[in-house]
Amino acid sequence: MTVPRGEILQERSKGRDVRISNIVAAKALASCIRTSLGPRGMDKLLQLPSGEVLISNDGATILSKMNVLHPAAKMLVECSQSQDIEAGDGTTSVVVLAGALLDACTGLLSKGIHPAMIASSFYRAAEACCELLTGAAMPVDMKDRSSLIHAVQTCLSSKVVSQNSDLLAPIAVDSVLKILGEDPSGATNVDLRDVRMVEQLGGTVDDTELVDGLVFDKGSTKTAGGPSQIDNAKIALIQFCLSAPKTDMDNNVVVSDYAAMDRILREERKYILNMCKKIKKTGANVVLIQKSILRDAYNELSLHFLAKMGILVVTDIERTDVEFVCRTLGCTPAPHVDSLTPEKLGSAAHVGDVVLPGSGHKVVKFVGVANSGCTSTVLLRGSNDLVLAEANRSVHDAQCVVRSLVKQRYLIAGGGAAETEASLRLRELALETTGMDSHCFKAYADALEVIPYTLAENAGLKPIEIVTELRKAHAEGTVGAGINVKKGRITDMYDENVIQPLLVTTSAIKLATETVCMILKVDDLVVVM
Amino acid sequence: MSAPNPASTGLFINGQRETGQDVRIGNVTAAISVANIVKSSLGPVGLDKMLVDDIGDVLITNDGATILKSLEVEHPAARVLVDLANLQDQEVGDGTTSVVIIASELLRRGNDLVKNGIHPTTIISGYRSALKAAVAYIKKEMVVNVSELNDDHLIQAAKTSMSSKIIGKESDFFAKLAVDAVKSVKMNATAADVAGYEAMGQSSASNDSKARFKYPLSAIHILKAHGKSSLESHLIDGGFAINAMRAAQGMPTFVESPSAGEPVKIAMLDMNLQRHRMGMGVQVIVKDPAEIENIKKREMDITKERIRRIIDAGARVVLTTKGVDDLCMKYFVEAGIICARRCNREDLKRLAKATGGRVVTTMADMEGNEAFDAECLGSCDSVREVRIGDGEMLYVYGCKGHGASTIVLRGANEYMLDEMDRALHDSLCVVKRMLESNTLVPGGGAAEAALSVYLDDYAHTIESREQLVIQEYADALLVIPKTLAVNAAKDASELVAKLRSVHAKGQHSSDEADAELKFMGLDLIEGTIRNNLDAGVVEPAISKIKSLRFATEAAITILRIDDRITLNDSKGLAR
Repeated sequence: MTVPRGEILQERSKGRDVRISNIVAAKALASCIRTSLGPRGMDKLLQLPSGEVLISNDGATILSKMNVLHPAAKMLVECSQSQDIEAGDGTTSVVVLAGALLDACTGLLSKGIHPAMIASSFYRAAEACCELLTGAAMPVDMKDRSSLIHAVQTCLSSKVVSQNSDLLAPIAVDSVLKILGEDPSGATNVDLRDVRMVEQLGGTVDDTELVDGLVFDKGSTKTAGGPSQIDNAKIALIQFCLSAPKTDMDNNVVVSDYAAMDRILREERKYILNMCKKIKKTGANVVLIQKSILRDAYNELSLHFLAKMGILVVTDIERTDVEFVCRTLGCTPAPHVDSLTPEKLGSAAHVGDVVLPGSGHKVVKFVGVANSGCTSTVLLRGSNDLVLAEANRSVHDAQCVVRSLVKQRYLIAGGGAAETEASLRLRELALETTGMDSHCFKAYADALEVIPYTLAENAGLKPIEIVTELRKAHAEGTVGAGINVKKGRITDMYDENVIQPLLVTTSAIKLATETVCMILKVDDLVVVM
Repeated sequence: MSAPNPASTGLFINGQRETGQDVRIGNVTAAISVANIVKSSLGPVGLDKMLVDDIGDVLITNDGATILKSLEVEHPAARVLVDLANLQDQEVGDGTTSVVIIASELLRRGNDLVKNGIHPTTIISGYRSALKAAVAYIKKEMVVNVSELNDDHLIQAAKTSMSSKIIGKESDFFAKLAVDAVKSVKMNATAADVAGYEAMGQSSASNDSKARFKYPLSAIHILKAHGKSSLESHLIDGGFAINAMRAAQGMPTFVESPSAGEPVKIAMLDMNLQRHRMGMGVQVIVKDPAEIENIKKREMDITKERIRRIIDAGARVVLTTKGVDDLCMKYFVEAGIICARRCNREDLKRLAKATGGRVVTTMADMEGNEAFDAECLGSCDSVREVRIGDGEMLYVYGCKGHGASTIVLRGANEYMLDEMDRALHDSLCVVKRMLESNTLVPGGGAAEAALSVYLDDYAHTIESREQLVIQEYADALLVIPKTLAVNAAKDASELVAKLRSVHAKGQHSSDEADAELKFMGLDLIEGTIRNNLDAGVVEPAISKIKSLRFATEAAITILRIDDRITLNDSKGLAR
């Protein structure tokens, strides 16, 4: 049948072809990042259009920068993003899992099973998996610091900074626990924005530290020769400007004789001096000045006065940092000099410049904050920008692991143990059910094994041998059996302390399944030009 | 299930993707070609490079970091090596060429291993354990602890570092210059430094007493002046030279203390001594023409009063970073004061430290009036304007504050001066590291040869596949003595074989007399082997350890990459 020209508005393709093309595109994406899964995973080098270079093995980071065009592949990218938000870790595994599930779908589809049936069976399979895993998981107490550290170390083992995990894991755990405060058992969620990450180039990742207090990424302002070390600091955070008042655009100060010039100069000095004196009067000996666009937030004169009064000055505090600073130091920002009262001051045992070995940069450090709010600061070091950025992402992932444990307090064995266990039990379940479910459950169970398979492959082991051995161990009842990448054989992951939060695994399974079902249900691709 | 041909995977992205072996080969090739550029400049007989940029500026250098920095490398993997050289430059200051050569050799050998079917992760862990063993060996066996560091050691180390540079021929002279300069700026560590060391847990027992001192290289001022031979460069000990001249001819060229025990006072200003202008938003409107004169006069008087206050405070020399009105000159001339304008701000800060003064930014006092605090004045013995080459400089002699010194470099042409500056900077870094760490290792390929022999033996104790990797690491280290010998036009294979056999003998024998053999290195002039510790070819141990660490880390970073995605500009996407 011929359609007259001009009657076709949209170009469309149909049914089976669309589904297959979607599946192929999504699978290609999954196969692209599967080499970065696991402790022996490799890195990707991304060269962005701007010429910037990024080396990472964090799935979410790679995918978000990759600029994927195909709509179905885009869904996988978003799936990895939501895993990042939900659990923060396992962003690579969720995509790899989705790829494997799609692979299973092609087989089922070719048998002529209706996509909707596959989708609903997969949903049920995912639910069954999550239930099985929750049953097999080990409850954890937030006060059990060593378990938390083990979970974080598992997460860090696949990163570039893995050899520093002995140092970074406790830092990540302590920084999150500090936010939770005295009683971590009641918390249900953590706002990771309460952890401030300060990056400083120079030194090595080994020099990273958790700061008890606050760190700014630059030194104090000393152009006028003020002090750089203050004990028993009283800290004022001011939002007003310590500079001569400016007239509005339309107004002018008119000088009509020379005596007026002297008066202006003197008044300007007096005005600034008065403000400085008022600050001094409140007892403050450290002043943090918020950045200002409208006027100079400070000038040489005010720095000079503050220096003479023995006040340490830190300038250019970002507006967005003000809240964090206030909560950490226990101070209240003062929008006007008259509203600055002694009650608004924060305090710290010591404030001072610290020269960072290696680079010679200076940072201001606030230590011994009396009753600091629930915040923490991590000072990250690294020998170059790429390492530093990757270390930041890794520590963030590690903190997400702790957050997942706050949300759902269960731990499960890593190293492919959880997936193998789920796969095995699901296969047993498939034998007990009849009809389409049985068929799909079996395919789903096979797909789950992609995680141990890929882990083994990336570690340079023989995947078939390892996966079958793993299956056998689980069938014999060793729930914790997983791939020990370092030794190259199967061991009990609980003994090796390779553990991860349950939430990471369950959320990966759920998200991957949902994405796959969505791709399955698409039978038409309409390109609107 | 290995990654299939990328073209057929149909990855729908706007850009190119390379995977697996292709990308590794690409990266390694790029890294090796970068290393090949700097290879010929390694060692005492290494040659220089001449770089000409697109506007025709010429740079002649032998410093690895400088060469690489000016190359504008585009390949991302090669850029990792350039960053590596920069890092070595910042952290150690010397050995930038060798670190790049070692890293590229590790990559080349790593790539060969991959081709032979060894998984990259095995190579990475093998390199890591080799590095660990190497660092432990250097610390245990190679390091010579110098309990009392004397000038000889320092001069030897400085000479070793500058032997490969343009000033190598005059190394006796320049080594002494460098050592004297660094020693002259010795100062107590400030509270901030101590806090930094403590926070990083670096105040170990061994350097507890030494950690209290620091040698800030920024306090050493290097001035370059055309003309005369390089041997006429000199160090102004306890003195400071500023590249500035008197503002007016009427000023004296020499100021010295009027009587014994009374120093010459220097005022350092960071403010304008020009006619005062009212700020923005202040408008001058007069009705009476006579007022104009008054206002003009007042504008002058405000500055005049400021100058009066500075002079009254006792200043005999006034230096400012900003301008001075010609009209104001006469006050200085009348008082017989040297005044210089438009000085470099950083220089003034250093001078302030050197003379114990402060840079004054504003003259307001705590009552809201104007006054000049006499405490801000620095003091020295005398100040003289000296004519060097084409220009004049102000020499400040006998600074009374913390250490500071100035090296005045002389040379035939600009390129030579720049290269001398870079070479001297490297040597200064080396001397500083020596003074701070108190340990040294023999140079001239001795440390690398010893490590290579040791790691070879160590590899035999390992049963897994890492054995191969560690052996390759051991061989890779030999690239340094090999390149040194090649650059010196000696028979590299024979020399290195000799060197290895000597080290093997030293390590395997239990004889006391053979213990010294581990210090054997190359003598590149004679083409023989000698004890480099006795010959005075030494380097700070810390720089050797750091360069091994950095080189290995960089090689690992590149080897870990198995996928390269180059994204096109998103503008192409909109079409």
